[in-house]
Amino acid sequence: MVKVDGYEVPEGLYYTKDFEWLKIEGDKVRVGITDYAQKQLREIVYAELPSPGTTIKQNEPYGTVESVKAVSDLVAPISGEILEVNTEVQSKPELLNEDPYGKGWLLIIKPSNLQGELPNLMNFNQAVEWHKTLIK
Amino acid sequence: MDENRKTQLYGVHQKTAKLTVFAGFEMPLWYKGIIPEHLAVRNSVGVFDISHMGRIIITGEDAERFLNYLITNDVSKLLPNSAQYSVMCNEEGGIIDDFVYYRLEKNKFMFVSNATNREKDYNWLVKNAKGFKVRIEEVSDSVAMLAVQGPNAEKTLQKISSDDLSKIERFKCAPLRLADVDVLLSRTGYTGEEGFEVFIWNTPISNPDNAVKVWNAILDAGKPYGIEPCGLGARDTLRLEAGMCLYGNDIDESTTPLEAALGFVVKLQKDNFVGKEALLKQKNEGIKRKRVGIRMLEQGIPRPSFEICDNAGEKIGHMTSGTFSPLLKCGIGMAYVPTSQAQEGNILNVKIRDKFAKAKIVPFPFYDPEKYGYKRKMPPP
Repeated sequence: MVKVDGYEVPEGLYYTKDFEWLKIEGDKVRVGITDYAQKQLREIVYAELPSPGTTIKQNEPYGTVESVKAVSDLVAPISGEILEVNTEVQSKPELLNEDPYGKGWLLIIKPSNLQGELPNLMNFNQAVEWHKTLIK
Repeated sequence: MDENRKTQLYGVHQKTAKLTVFAGFEMPLWYKGIIPEHLAVRNSVGVFDISHMGRIIITGEDAERFLNYLITNDVSKLLPNSAQYSVMCNEEGGIIDDFVYYRLEKNKFMFVSNATNREKDYNWLVKNAKGFKVRIEEVSDSVAMLAVQGPNAEKTLQKISSDDLSKIERFKCAPLRLADVDVLLSRTGYTGEEGFEVFIWNTPISNPDNAVKVWNAILDAGKPYGIEPCGLGARDTLRLEAGMCLYGNDIDESTTPLEAALGFVVKLQKDNFVGKEALLKQKNEGIKRKRVGIRMLEQGIPRPSFEICDNAGEKIGHMTSGTFSPLLKCGIGMAYVPTSQAQEGNILNVKIRDKFAKAKIVPFPFYDPEKYGYKRKMPPP
């Protein structure tokens, strides 16, 4: 893991410019929001997430996170069917601030076209470079 | 290049706060975070820089008569070293601004306007001053202003003053020294809590030392109470929980004080004042819509402009303010709804993006006044 000006960017994940991360776990993927996203939102008080079984599409909104002051769309990093939703972040949204890459994960998805869509995401090195441009 | 206005404490904020632009001023949004700052004020004490607000001094033998002609509340009842909340309206009864004003001496008043209305208020006062022997002086830029709010505000300030602050009653003020600086201290605020506002005279932005000195002394004195410097984020959530209006959101020139549930500052028995006829007419005919408190029963935060719908899904009004309440841990806000549906306890729907979420009309303040706010009966935790 590296820190770009205080923002954590772990290795081994894929990233979108909508501030989400994606981790490949066998034939499934786990997704969440980045450290940069949670630090921009701060004090997240709600996470509105779809139910398991819902189909989501890459680059389309699937839910929202809200802080005291702001609302932000969650945008799907990949297409597929939602297998699992992290119900713990719904009851304890502060997990998104405390541990965005760990306990603050949002969904486990069965991707429908992983190989086709993965090139649309940034790998670790690209994400580090992109984070540097965000800070400027 | 840099067009934003700054307050006397900008140097401090720049180093310690996340900044935002409000009413053209670069102001602290938060230091530690909205929630901890909010809770510090509800449970103990917090300090705010509110130097961005407008301050206008009105003097002269006609000062009382002039203000009584322009504002809706009754100036004649106000004693020196006292403050009062009021609004002033246009001829149609629309609110020009809401504000607290002070009677400093028999013929000397200070008017504290919303930052967004600084120029508008000054111009409105000057425009209406024809025929009155008054002098209207805009002093905003040479006076810094702080708010020290919360159940431990008095204890905090007492440590840096040799005057007995317990003698200053609510909505009273007194000239005194705080941290060896000449100030006007008033027991007023915008949080619903016990607390004070501090006017630091002769402190222009070019020489902000007195403001910095008082700010630091307050933070130091409040340390044992866990004082937090607070930004505009917490200022907004605190005033919302207390049910207080924000000009530009909850009231403006298209709303009247009667619709805004501010009838208590409208003294219709007074002699002629600007907007009286329109307000009298509206009072006799009955208001068609009313500002109410909205508390979410389901998940979701009602934000300004979100639609309010009845149980048939018909739009009946809209939110004017809304936030997550750090104290109640749910969405709260204000809305205008038809008078026929404005009764407390009425269940309505707030359209949050594409979904309806149930909400209830509740009285102001949103919190239990026995436990929080200046009327609290229980000691702070």
